[in-house]
Order: sequence, then structure tokens, then C-alpha cells
Amino acid sequence: MSLLLLKLWAFVQRDFLSEVSYRLAFLMQVGGMFFSLLAFYFLARMIDPGSAGLDGIPPFDWLLVGLAFQYYFSTALYSFSARIRNEQVIGTLEAMLVSPTPTSIVIFSSAAWDFTYGAMRVVLYMLFATLFFDVRLDPGSAIALALGVALTLLSSAGLGILSASFILYFKRGDPINFLLSGATTFLGSVFFPVEQLPEWVRPASDYMPIFWSLRIVRGALLKGQALGELQGDLVRLGLLTVVLLPLGLVCSRYAIRRAKKDGSLIAY
Amino acid sequence: MGHAIEAVGLVKTFVKTRSLREILLHPFGRAERIPALRGADLAVREGEIVSLLGPNGAGKTTLLKILSCLVLPDAGRAIVGGDDTIHENRVKRRIGLVHSDERSFYWRLSARENLRFFARLYNVPYRKTEARLQELLERVDLAAAADRPFSGYSSGMKQRVAIARALLHDPPILLMDEPTRSLDPVTAIALRDFVTERLCRDGGKTVLLATHDLREAEAVSDRVAILVSGRVRQIGTVAEVRRWGVRDRVYRIEVEGWTGALGGPFRVVGDGTEDGLRRIVVAVEPGTSLHDVLAAIVATGARLRACDEQQPDLEQAFSRIVGAESDDA
Repeated sequence: MSLLLLKLWAFVQRDFLSEVSYRLAFLMQVGGMFFSLLAFYFLARMIDPGSAGLDGIPPFDWLLVGLAFQYYFSTALYSFSARIRNEQVIGTLEAMLVSPTPTSIVIFSSAAWDFTYGAMRVVLYMLFATLFFDVRLDPGSAIALALGVALTLLSSAGLGILSASFILYFKRGDPINFLLSGATTFLGSVFFPVEQLPEWVRPASDYMPIFWSLRIVRGALLKGQALGELQGDLVRLGLLTVVLLPLGLVCSRYAIRRAKKDGSLIAY
Repeated sequence: MGHAIEAVGLVKTFVKTRSLREILLHPFGRAERIPALRGADLAVREGEIVSLLGPNGAGKTTLLKILSCLVLPDAGRAIVGGDDTIHENRVKRRIGLVHSDERSFYWRLSARENLRFFARLYNVPYRKTEARLQELLERVDLAAAADRPFSGYSSGMKQRVAIARALLHDPPILLMDEPTRSLDPVTAIALRDFVTERLCRDGGKTVLLATHDLREAEAVSDRVAILVSGRVRQIGTVAEVRRWGVRDRVYRIEVEGWTGALGGPFRVVGDGTEDGLRRIVVAVEPGTSLHDVLAAIVATGARLRACDEQQPDLEQAFSRIVGAESDDA
């Protein structure tokens, strides 16, 4: 276990050093976060606080959680495949795969920095929001919030690893990202509640991990809901995680074996 | 002495990517398969340096990739450090792969940062990492430049970082894929000396080195293996491979009073004057000794001044071996 943590830390260090070597870009990203919050603040002023699906949460606060976690969820979805593809293109994948570290750990760890950075962004969004936009965060149940975030991480990692499996095998053309990138924003209650959609579309949201994640985070962070009140949402998100994570791992194992057989593991 | 590497009947074919036109014209047609290895056999003894020579497309890189567990063979077995390559993790602990590709590093990081990252992947104990990095950087003469960005290094320095990376976990076996490809002659010679003297003679490593460069193979190898069209066509010492397909021994003899007539099982294949000395080149059939040749020359009334055996040219031997394989095919 400690060996795995050391490897994860090595990936985080490597990517952090690369990121900060582009100093201006790093600072501009942080600045960009503030300005996107500002834009959403004024956008939220146009929304009727009594709109269906907001559950009494002020529109800006509701949007803030969607914005912060949508980035986190897309990071999980894209970063595994993007990192693997990048390593293939820059030529470092072969050097990693010839090491005694199992391929599955290389894939899993490759997104460690993106997850860390994603978490830092969530914290930074919340910090900006409380400092400059008068948002009041009231974590009713820290346990529910922690469980919700952990399950969000694992379920989205499952989808991300599934997506990376396609990249390992097909190199380009990843149907997981294609299908989910639009669907999560549309059906996940990210920027508007699903209650605003036609009734026949809404059941599809039940199969979106981000939909349950956002319900849990908004409930725990903005409505002060307790663990018991969020139990149902946590179970649903847990079920999706139980399906998606093993599915991602099994598919990646299959993709690695096929790519080794075809000799295309490091091709791009 | 045991074998560090053994390949037995390795077969590997790759699927040729079909063009859009082919897919449209024959949507259910089977993709063409291109053979890379067609039953390659190779055995490398512990502590030996073997060069893998072959023309482009002979299968050298495919063989190295199978030995380093990056590609699975269609048939045959590869045993590295006593374990079949299907036991990937055990094999990977015993090998270091030196790539010829400079891109296999993170260019915005320094050599030390790159090596620190790979040290984690190679399971170098955490507390010993910094000492190990320093030791390796000194060993490849990069200690002074270790904290500069990798992007600013010369090709020779990048190649030395690649060697340091392959040595991180101190593997007994090194697989090197054209390590001097992008190096200038002086740097290439220094690198060859490093491999032969410090890694093999002092360090006891086994090295399998794929190269196009016959002179390099000759300079560093205990034995050379010539891979042609996916099979190891010849393996032996450089002297043995040089003599492949050569029946006669050839001697260059300096003489005085040469009349130009020589009978018996000898053929004069060259005759010329250089610096006032007459030099003849005599091909001698198998079963005849040098003594017989010299006696025959003396019998013509000529006086002998010097004599040496001419070694067959390695490039010509290589051409003969490659040519023979093409004829067989």
C-alpha cells in the first residue's frame, strides 16, 4: 500500500513540476477561475430563486457546486485517456511500462495530479465563493460529504479508466467521452436542475453518477442535510460505483492484453 | 555458465492497418498480417555482450520488445533471467531497457527529477533513492549537469540519462536498442567503452544490443547474432561470423624475386607493388596449411619478407548472410 502511495506521489510531483514550469499558464488558470465565478454570479441574478429543482438553495450557490464539481468530474472522465494518449505521443509510455510497475497502476496513477489539482480547484472555488460572493457553506454531515466525494471520485475514475481502455486499444475515438461529455452536463443537474427538462428525459439522470454526486454535495454543503437524509442518494451512487469501477478495471486489463498482443501498446 | 536470455521459436505477426478504401471495398475482408519474427532462436550467456545485427525490418526491435514484456509473442517462448516473459513482473525486475528515443523523458524536468520519478516506478527504496541517483549520475558523468532541464542536454547526455534510468534498479540484464544512433563518433566511442568496461567487465551485466552499425558490433561484442527476415541466421564470435560462407583462407605475403607462377591448391588473387615491396594475396583451399603455401613460394626462388592472414570483411560476411537468407526465401 505504501508503495502505491509513493508511486502516486511520484506522479503528482512529476506533473506538478511540469505544470509550474509554465508559470504564467498556472497563474492564469487561477485567475480564470475567479472570473468564471464572477460571470456565474451575475448569471445567477437573472434566475428566479423559486425555480423548480433549486430546493430553496440560492441560484448562485446551486450553480457554484455544479461548476466546481463539473470540472472535477470531467477531469476524472478525460484525464486517464488524455494522460495515456499524451504519454504515447511524447514517448514516455514505453519507458514506464518496461518498469516493474504493473500497467494498471501506471494508468491509475497517471491521473493522480489531475485529481489533486481538481480537488484544489474545488477548494479554491469554495474559498473564492465564501470570501468574495457571500456564499455560506454549512456542512450538515461531514461524513456524508466525504463519502459523496469519495464515491464521486471512484465512480468517475471507473468511467475514466473505461475511457482510457478505448484509447489504449483504438488510440483515438473514445465513445465513452463522446457519449458522456454532453450527457453529464445535460442530464446531471450541473448548470440547471433536471426538473427543467421534459419529464420523459429525466429518468436518464438516474444513471449519471454526477447527478447523485451533486445532490449529495448540495444537500450536505448548502442545505445542511444529515447522513440519514442523504442515505438514499449515497446508496444509488454506491451502486453505480460498484458497477463502473470494476467494469473499468476489467476493460483496461482486456485492452492492455489486446494491445500487447497486437504490439500496439505504445503506438499512437 | 547459464543463459541470461533464451528465445525459442519466437513468432510475431502484426496486423497491417487497412486504408479507408480497403475497408469500403472489402468490408468483411481479413486484414493482412505482416510477419516480424518467424521462429527466432537466440541464447545469450550471463555476462556476455551480444549484438543483434540485421537490416531494417529484420525484427530486432520486435525481439527486444518481446524480451522486455512490451509485446506478447504469437508463438514460442522467451526466458529472461530464468523466467518466462509471461511472468512480467519478475522479468521486469531483471532487465533495463535503453531506448534510442530521446523523447522517452520529460523535457521540462531535470535529469535528477526524471530519474527520481522513474526510481519510484522501479521500486528503488525511498530512503536510498537520493544516494542511488547521485551514484548513477556520477557514474554516467552527469552529476554537474543533473539539475539542468533535460531539454538543454546534448544527444550524448540524453543517452547517458537513458542508461542511468536503465540501471536504477541495478538489473543484471540490459537491453539496448541502437544506443548510439544519434551520437557523434567521439561520443559513440565513449559510450561503447562505458558499456564494455564499466557495465560488463566491471559490473558483470549481460547486454543484448540491437544495432545497424557493424563496426560498433565488432568493437563491443563477445558474439554477434544476425537477424534476417525474422530469424537468427547466424550467431557466433565476430571472427566466426566473418568467416561465414568463406571456404578459403587468404594470406598477404611480401616477397622478393617473385616470378608470378604458383601451382597446387593455391590461387593468387592479388598482386601489386607498394612502397617498393611486392605483395601477393594468396587464397588457400581448406586442408592446406600456411607452411605448404610458403614452401611453394620459396620453391619458385622467391624470398619471403612478411606474411599475415587477411580476415574476411565483416560487411561482406553480413551481405553474404543477408543475401543467403533472401535466396532461401
